[in-house]
Amino acid sequence: MSEEATAVDTEKMSPKEVNPDQIMDFLKSKMGARFKMWLKICAHCGLCADTCHHYLASGKDPKMIPSYKVRFLLEILRKKGKVDRDYLKKVYDTVYYECNACRRCTLYCPFGIDIALMISLLRSLLLSQEMVPEGLAKAVENYKEFGNQMAVTKEDWVETLEWCEEETAEELVGLKIPIDKKGAKIMYTVNAREPMFYPQDIMEVAKIFHVAGENWTFPSKSGWDATNLAMFCADGKTARVIVENTFKCADELGVQQVAVTE
Amino acid sequence: MDFFSFVEGPLLWIAFFTFILGSLIRVALFLSMSRKMDKIVYQHFSWKYIFATLGRWLLPLNRDVVKNPIFTTLGYVFHICLVIVPIWLSGHITLWEESRFEWSWTSIPDGLADWMTLIFLCIALFFLLRRIFSANIRLISTFSDYSLLVVTALPFLSGYFVTHGTLDNVAFLGDNMQLIHMLTGELMLILIPFTKLFHFILFFFSRGVTAVEFGRRGYSI
Repeated sequence: MSEEATAVDTEKMSPKEVNPDQIMDFLKSKMGARFKMWLKICAHCGLCADTCHHYLASGKDPKMIPSYKVRFLLEILRKKGKVDRDYLKKVYDTVYYECNACRRCTLYCPFGIDIALMISLLRSLLLSQEMVPEGLAKAVENYKEFGNQMAVTKEDWVETLEWCEEETAEELVGLKIPIDKKGAKIMYTVNAREPMFYPQDIMEVAKIFHVAGENWTFPSKSGWDATNLAMFCADGKTARVIVENTFKCADELGVQQVAVTE
Repeated sequence: MDFFSFVEGPLLWIAFFTFILGSLIRVALFLSMSRKMDKIVYQHFSWKYIFATLGRWLLPLNRDVVKNPIFTTLGYVFHICLVIVPIWLSGHITLWEESRFEWSWTSIPDGLADWMTLIFLCIALFFLLRRIFSANIRLISTFSDYSLLVVTALPFLSGYFVTHGTLDNVAFLGDNMQLIHMLTGELMLILIPFTKLFHFILFFFSRGVTAVEFGRRGYSI
């Protein structure tokens, strides 16, 4: 996850009442047979404990055992969604700050229980109740409006690429930063922070492509941002649009490969 | 019909039927629900990854063997004894031979069965003590974790007592050990489809769906 999302410790909390029916409808629509099975068969053997870096880094705090972190799902189901904001705040603290969905516990679980998928489901549930880390919420808004997490407009993006080309060409004569070049072999994508804060990264990559003699291009349309922060707050719809944008660009330009550097 | 005959006859039928029918129904429910709700598993379905994961985890070829060798060994031995002793015990096979089915198969030596039972009970006791005394495991343990361990161990404990007459001089227990053995065995059979003991089937489904999930990214677990 890029730093702007994790650094923000305040979160966007909606003051509105929790609606149990809405929670249950949400869970019913999302909880497949897999989730129900996992909640039922976990033998609480504890083998997942010391596979978790949060557990190890907290001085082996039992509350950090992966199997324990997903108890919320079972509790919410038992309570038929009748939980309050304070309860959801506890869920929030666990699913965002005590698990980063690395899936290492799953590799050591005798049943292969996918804890990260359940954490993601809980994040998605919190999203439906408007509880999202502020940094992520902002990024998601930017994706929806501008197609990238930093709200870079198409004009700014193209202009940045153009002056990057100008400056770099002073050093390497003949260097080009191709934009929307049909039939290029590689379509290159970046983290949207690069045009905002680190244009030198774009220049350096252009130098490498130039010297290597690669046939490459940047797309001008949305799809050039390789990050997908919507995925981190389990906003599946937006996450899908972001990926589709990249695929659309690749299709239109007829490239053979998409390079994702994030 | 006295209570003993009921436990020996009708209740045994009820127990086996509950176990078999309950298991079949639960599998059917899982499959029909997953077909509707877990489409992604079917979209990326791959026997290759499923067989790979089952092979690794049914045999001790997985990463837990390296990371937690002692606990993993105990887990394997526990389950091997749990499955082998009741099915291949000569005393049980004799009953199948005498039954209306007249089924028969080779038994394991009684001495081996004795040792396997004792080892099984020691491991069960260790699991129980670990659950009670380890702060980690205690926090995540639920009532069913404790009680199902006891439910699983009781048929073995009472079976050992029946075979060896250990408690024959103790009032009530001595006279009724065979009854207790049958009752605890039947209780366990009946509980299997309704509790997490059903992992004897769901193990395969759970490993399978996760193997597919990791497999679609080219990683075999």
